[in-house]
Amino acid sequence: MLLFITRRLLFALMLLLAVSLFTYLLFSILPADPAALTCGKNCKPEIIAANRVRLGYDKPILEQYWNFLKGIFVGRDYGTGAAAFSCPAPSLGYSFSQHECVTTLIARTFPVTAYLSIGALIMWMSLGVGLGSIAALKKGKWQDKAATTFSAIGVSLPTFYIGLLVLFSFCIWLRILPFPKYESPFVNPGAFFTTMILPWSTLAVLSAASYTRLTRNGMLEAMNEDFVRLGIAKGLQRRTILRKYVLRSALVPIVTIAGLDFAALLGGAIITESVFSLPGMGRMSIRAVVESDLPVLVGTTMVAAVFIVLANVIVDILYGVLDPRVRAK
Amino acid sequence: MTKRRIIGAVSFALVASVLAAACGGGSDSSGGDGTPKKGGTIRILTSGEQIAHLDPQRNYTGTDLAFAGSTMHRSLTSYKYEAGDAGSEIAGDLATDTGTASNEGKTWAFTLRDGITFEDGSAITCADVSYGVSRSFATDVITDGPTYAISYIDVEDYPGPYKATAEQQTAYDKAVVCDGNTITFNLKNPVADFNYTTTMLTFSPVPKAKDNGEGYDMNPVSSGPYKIESYEVGKALTLVRNENWNAESDDLRKAYADSIVYEFGLEEATMDERMIADAGDDQFAVSEGIQPENLQTIFEGDEAVKARAIDYYDPFVSYTNLNNETLSCYEVRKAIYLALDREALRKASGGPYTGDFADGFVKPALALDYAKATLPEGLNEDGSANVEAAQAAADEAKTKCPDVAARAASGLNFYYPDTPIWQKALAIWQDNLGAIGFKIKPEAVEPSQYWPTVMNPETEYDIARGGWAPDWANASTVIPELFTTGGGFNLTRNSKDADYAEFESLVNAARTNLDRTAQGKQWQELNQYVVDRLWALPGTFLKAQSIWGSKVGNTFQWGPFGAFCFGNLYVK
Amino acid sequence: MTTPLLSVENLNVSFATPDGVVRAVTDVSFRINTGETLGIVGESGSGKSVTASSLLRLNNSVTASTSGKVLFDGTDVLTVDEDEMRRIRGQDIAMVFQDPLSALNPFYTVGEQISEAYLVHHPKASKSDVRTRVLEMLEKVGIPNPSKRIDEYPHEFSGGMRQRIVIAIALINSPRLLIADEPTTALDVTVQAQILDLMKDLQQETGMAIILITHDLGVVAEVADSALVMYGGRVVERADVMSIFSVPTHPYSWGLLGAVGSLDTSTRGHLATIPGTPPSLISLPNGCAFRPRCSHQEGVESKCANNVPVLRPIEGTSSESACHLADHQLVSIGQRSSRS
Repeated sequence: MLLFITRRLLFALMLLLAVSLFTYLLFSILPADPAALTCGKNCKPEIIAANRVRLGYDKPILEQYWNFLKGIFVGRDYGTGAAAFSCPAPSLGYSFSQHECVTTLIARTFPVTAYLSIGALIMWMSLGVGLGSIAALKKGKWQDKAATTFSAIGVSLPTFYIGLLVLFSFCIWLRILPFPKYESPFVNPGAFFTTMILPWSTLAVLSAASYTRLTRNGMLEAMNEDFVRLGIAKGLQRRTILRKYVLRSALVPIVTIAGLDFAALLGGAIITESVFSLPGMGRMSIRAVVESDLPVLVGTTMVAAVFIVLANVIVDILYGVLDPRVRAK
Repeated sequence: MTKRRIIGAVSFALVASVLAAACGGGSDSSGGDGTPKKGGTIRILTSGEQIAHLDPQRNYTGTDLAFAGSTMHRSLTSYKYEAGDAGSEIAGDLATDTGTASNEGKTWAFTLRDGITFEDGSAITCADVSYGVSRSFATDVITDGPTYAISYIDVEDYPGPYKATAEQQTAYDKAVVCDGNTITFNLKNPVADFNYTTTMLTFSPVPKAKDNGEGYDMNPVSSGPYKIESYEVGKALTLVRNENWNAESDDLRKAYADSIVYEFGLEEATMDERMIADAGDDQFAVSEGIQPENLQTIFEGDEAVKARAIDYYDPFVSYTNLNNETLSCYEVRKAIYLALDREALRKASGGPYTGDFADGFVKPALALDYAKATLPEGLNEDGSANVEAAQAAADEAKTKCPDVAARAASGLNFYYPDTPIWQKALAIWQDNLGAIGFKIKPEAVEPSQYWPTVMNPETEYDIARGGWAPDWANASTVIPELFTTGGGFNLTRNSKDADYAEFESLVNAARTNLDRTAQGKQWQELNQYVVDRLWALPGTFLKAQSIWGSKVGNTFQWGPFGAFCFGNLYVK
Repeated sequence: MTTPLLSVENLNVSFATPDGVVRAVTDVSFRINTGETLGIVGESGSGKSVTASSLLRLNNSVTASTSGKVLFDGTDVLTVDEDEMRRIRGQDIAMVFQDPLSALNPFYTVGEQISEAYLVHHPKASKSDVRTRVLEMLEKVGIPNPSKRIDEYPHEFSGGMRQRIVIAIALINSPRLLIADEPTTALDVTVQAQILDLMKDLQQETGMAIILITHDLGVVAEVADSALVMYGGRVVERADVMSIFSVPTHPYSWGLLGAVGSLDTSTRGHLATIPGTPPSLISLPNGCAFRPRCSHQEGVESKCANNVPVLRPIEGTSSESACHLADHQLVSIGQRSSRS
């Protein structure tokens, strides 16, 4: 088992290196000139040239990449003379547009994304599995049809649309909730909840849709299994059968898929964060794309990659834990 | 300085009525509700993620200058904190008055007031102001800011305080001299309106001990009535009262509100709705910019909402540069101008709320320097194309300057930024010019590359759009910049024109004229000079719209910046 | 005659499906006494499995409609309330399924599953008591090293072992009736014999009755006392085992026996099959369901075509048969076919 984990983690590390290199290379073929983007009204070619040097984009791309890699281990220095400053290890670079070391930026924005993802996960799993179970148990009846319709609509709706609809409904038309204004749960839990309930609900509704269908189908399949019949033949209560036989079987693939979806969300729920003004990693990445802020871009891409990779490893392990048949011999 | 009434055409009536109501004092334009009072929190809503630069020497956008200048950063001189034309007049801020010029404008001296302090209570000295100015020379660290100090002050090769050798620093200290609390600037050339230049925050003091270079943007030291309590990119900037600001030393700032919160990252689609709804804390908020789809609702609907919004001139003009070397024939240039359906072009860029048809390159807000120009014969007031007159000019060109006419017929290089609006505009240009037998060769440029491309002397354009706003309330930052070879933004390539030499000497005369009113008249004439020759085609006096909550007072739009006078907003 | 342990009277089961109503079981009646073994024989689709699952009310209550009586010890299983039914399941009547891999819950250990079967009906039993019984049962069904294997998962056992575990689950509460639905079909021939022996031994010990569902006449010959032949959802012949092999009295049985591979016939290697396919239970034909495949219709064609034959006792035997041929015809053909 230990060998398995070590191997996977080593592979993950190589993957991260590849992702970071790829991001750098992709950046170097962008048509937009990042040095020009910082240029304000008084933009002259000399200023752009100076910017390019200042931001380090005049060097060959591989040299830029090498400096980046070094920075992760030993930190990185910027500027000269009295205006020199540095980003301590692990340095992922410095954002000249936000005037902050990238590592600090990520440390500040990541928790917001994490809270968003965790809350959303809990809500969509409860909603999705709950509705899916009802649909399976009341197959063919109106509850099933309602849940299935909800599911079909939910998977086709765009996040942006639902997000705005939620925002308008609760904050403008109905005035039940104040406009989202993120505060840390340790600083102002009240504001935290009234802010987060909106994006949580949005994501829950959207994601629950596919989990409703997954749960419903998984349960219906499980209900047809022989061991479920045997369970009934043993004289077990219906709810025991549902829990230990049907749900237990249906949940295995659902939990693993949820793990991967959760990891993707950790990479930054860009649209949701933008609509609800959450200062998370997703919004920061989109800004980095627009401004061609390479250090931030690479930093957030790598963090997202870390989670995807980590999630895959955990999901593999989880599968073995949940399903005895899969355990490595 | 006398005030000037705006003699405007019908299209200026709206602006005139708004400004007229606010003329003459610090009352707010929402129609009198008593005297301003202290207290409360003002909120500024924006979809931006942060303020681009709070570092005074790096701050260069209208809204940011208005914000930082009225709350945290005092400068040697400043505009008056008043609505209308009065807002374009200057007064002493840190200085006792608007400075003393000598040497025909090559030397300027300012005396600092008593009782001016930083937020920690320490006194602001001449050295602090000099240090602040010197920072602007370190363009490798202090980026994006105005570079007037560098171009005007008489010192060569000064790299800024971080890298300067003792020698270099001494050289700078000879150009910017501190004697007690008098600071003297020795300039390379006479600059008649240097005391306007000093309104820019380039001339704001910075305490050397607290200067952390690149990072100073996040924690600048305040010399004004407010200081930073917290600044979180993507969340909010919170300003609270600076207890160490002496109100007696400051004639301009009133600091009514107890705190000002700049909220970042708000969803654009909801901002207008919130401001219209005016509920809860939004009553204490202001918002700059209104989504085009909501303009009608706000300005043509409920009277109560309309009273809380304003449609005004921002500082920008847009216009079209013509390459006067290749299009060296006035008739061709005139033909192009008359053939344009300016109304259609305006519609393509968003309609009447985007601006008014310009009659030159100086906007009415530069009151002293503006006079309605006489436009070429045949140009329709309503913005529609005058195809007959255009065709007549084109025909004339065929005999007068057959080479240029032929070039126009075979294809004019039309450079434009590749955006959806410009793609629509291109179609209109092609149509309009096609009607008189001219052809367009479109050259789409990736938007972020547009300025570098057209500013490159090697680029062979015939027609290229231009846009500009004055850096301070004097057309000396417009006419010379845009139309002389010394100017930083001359894309008209007019230096070979027969009248250029005369023009240039007239400009230099205006530049060095220390009589402001007389200077204003000279700028008016020079604007007409350019229009008469159509070295560039006047385009649009751009407009902007803003809206505020019902409990905010003093919401006039500050002329030089096209933004709220943030520091003087108060809670009703 | 003693009161039968189980008496099935006129059992009818049909399912509503999108394609139509499936008449899976029509008019099925039979009896079984304590200690007896009844073999229910037929092809797939004959209704034998549905009959078996009806005895424990395992059919899907939404789509199945059931009528008739299933009297277990005097109680009609089809009409008792759910609580009583749960009490009967696993305690009075137990079931063994065909595929032991899919019959066991893959997420719990073997020990947990057997314990569960016990605890359902003995909720107050102590942990050690339960464990003892489970280990006993594992030994009894022939699992070697039970104290180690009790904590293993079903997929860690071979097919035959798994079936033994399923039997352990079924028998831990000493049921009075065991229903075994094709218990050996999924197993090797050698393992088959072991399982059948095990079942017989346990029957000896406990005196339980066994209903054995199978399509394999060889199995019936091994263990059953009497046999029920089903075709097209109906019982077509009921006889004791000796009779069914010596004098089968139904054309379907004749076909089946002809298809039985016998070790000492020269037809070894060539299993005779009955030409044709079983009928669709949605659109059952008029008259006798077996008619399309029956080669013994001389003289009774029109009856076969229009009238469903009714199960009746056949003179000269202790069997019952549902065929339009006369008793003496059935007997004489039957005697001949058993010798072929």
